[in-house]
Amino acid sequence: MTDVGEGFPHLPEPVESEIGTGPAYRESWSQFSGLLYRELVKTYRNPWIIAITVIQPFMWLAFFGSSFSGAGCAIVLPLTNYVTCNYIQFLLGGVLATSMLTIGMFGSMSMIQDKRFGYLKRVLITPTRRSSVFLAKSVGATTRGLIQFPVMIVAAFAFGVRFSISPLEWMGWVVALFFLGLGFSSLYLTITARSTDWQTPGVLSNLITMPLMFTSTALFPAVNFPWWMQDISKVNPVTYAALFGRNLALFGTANWEYLGFLAIFATVMVALGALVYSRWLKVE
Amino acid sequence: MSDAIEVHHLTQRYGSFTALRDVDLSVRQGEIFGLLGPNGAGKTTLIKVLTGLVPPSEGSASIAGLDVVAQERRVKARVGWVASEVILDDDLSAMENLWIQARLQNLTNWKERARDLLQYLGLQDRADWRVSKFSTGMRKKLEVALALLHEPSVIFMDEPTIGLDAATRRMLWDLIRNIHREYGVTVLLTTHYIEEADALCERVAVIDLGRIIRTGTPSELKAQLGIDVIEIETVGVLDPGPLRAIEGVQDVRVDGHRWTFKVREAEEVLPRILAAIPTRELRRVNVERPSLETVFLELTGRRLGGDETPVDFRKFYGQLLRTRR
Repeated sequence: MTDVGEGFPHLPEPVESEIGTGPAYRESWSQFSGLLYRELVKTYRNPWIIAITVIQPFMWLAFFGSSFSGAGCAIVLPLTNYVTCNYIQFLLGGVLATSMLTIGMFGSMSMIQDKRFGYLKRVLITPTRRSSVFLAKSVGATTRGLIQFPVMIVAAFAFGVRFSISPLEWMGWVVALFFLGLGFSSLYLTITARSTDWQTPGVLSNLITMPLMFTSTALFPAVNFPWWMQDISKVNPVTYAALFGRNLALFGTANWEYLGFLAIFATVMVALGALVYSRWLKVE
Repeated sequence: MSDAIEVHHLTQRYGSFTALRDVDLSVRQGEIFGLLGPNGAGKTTLIKVLTGLVPPSEGSASIAGLDVVAQERRVKARVGWVASEVILDDDLSAMENLWIQARLQNLTNWKERARDLLQYLGLQDRADWRVSKFSTGMRKKLEVALALLHEPSVIFMDEPTIGLDAATRRMLWDLIRNIHREYGVTVLLTTHYIEEADALCERVAVIDLGRIIRTGTPSELKAQLGIDVIEIETVGVLDPGPLRAIEGVQDVRVDGHRWTFKVREAEEVLPRILAAIPTRELRRVNVERPSLETVFLELTGRRLGGDETPVDFRKFYGQLLRTRR
């Protein structure tokens, strides 16, 4: 055992906590960035998480996208609303959007883990605001989800999809997925704000993923939907992220108003989550 | 200067369960103060209120003159916390854990201090090790480093030595004494180990079922019981009359050659007793002073951690519900 007897460190200069002395945004940024770093570095050190995050949508694209490859243009063309015979090209935007739906589950699971291991208590016995804790988890989960974007683009290329997209439009696509992911991560975190049960995020994911996926236009165009499903698809954020990507993949055109809709969705969800966390978060 | 910790009429309820009842407490600057009580006495709840984690149901509390509710974030910038279960991020290195703590406390010049603390704690070679590879003793030290990083004025240690082996416990006791001495930081620690409170604390509050029963220095608490026991074995048989008459002797029991004196202050009474017995008659002398254990037993009527503790079923059920979550 090391001797801890003598010689307490004498400080070269005083280290005063600057809480309450500087501008509030700087404090919050310091806390938020520290927590976000933790989220990201933990992912980076766990290659399995990255592998599974990437493999899951890839399998979607490969298996579901290829299921019509033997069917010929006569069947695929009407499925894609007479736009393309390559179903994968049609599906890519939808799969990327749908996979951002589930990443919220991991964010909320890791929050529950922090509750159960007491880490949240450690964080909250510092001047960190609960809303910063929430935002770091939400942004962390979303960033983690975006890892799959470049991989999916390369995979689609390998399946014969060709892109003619400007750098700004590429960026727009990433931002659209970021907004969608941020919105749903926030939703998951908000619903599980008072939960300490590992199973809650999984159950929640089972509940909302399927309906959101099928009532969006991620897999099929809305023209063949009944009227009530068309109505739902119009307010379903997944639709807008899917369409933004699809229009880029098919025609190389960006619908910036869809991006605006996704920004509003993300803002509302983040604001709601920050409010719920600052008022009703259960710490342990 | 205001007291390091002040608590007035603090009551804490969780639903119908009352964890703390009308607690009053004041801890002076630079003191090592112990909260002694069995599991479920309300020690951890009190720490949660004092660190600003939960607002009190009734009453008030302040740290270094700052109210824990109204000035919650400034309080949190001035307190350090060492948990009973070690809470660190195992996926990160020691230095990264310190870095995050520095970010959360909004520190700028933290690196040098972090290195100094690791050096002081004998962890300097492990700075870049993942915490998952640390032993329990090393983790505990790292937690202490996290708690000290932002130069807090008060450190809360919740059952700091629970589950540690004897050597690690000694190491931690030394560490607590040293950081207190070198650093002048006020330490509030909770424990259900009598010997820990006795060894470390300048003052102790005995807490049970959410109430503070008695506060004082360990020797004051023992003195309040007012009874030291002196046992003397003699060669021959003596007349008990003159011995009973000695000032300060409250009770004498004789069993052949064995004498048991109950006295107020053994230091003062023992010389008088010895003066009354011829030296050649003395075979053996033994002085027994009450331990904090005896004090606790006397104050609460129950043994700390003992099996005969009467079970408060309502409270037990409340704890059960909380643990299940």
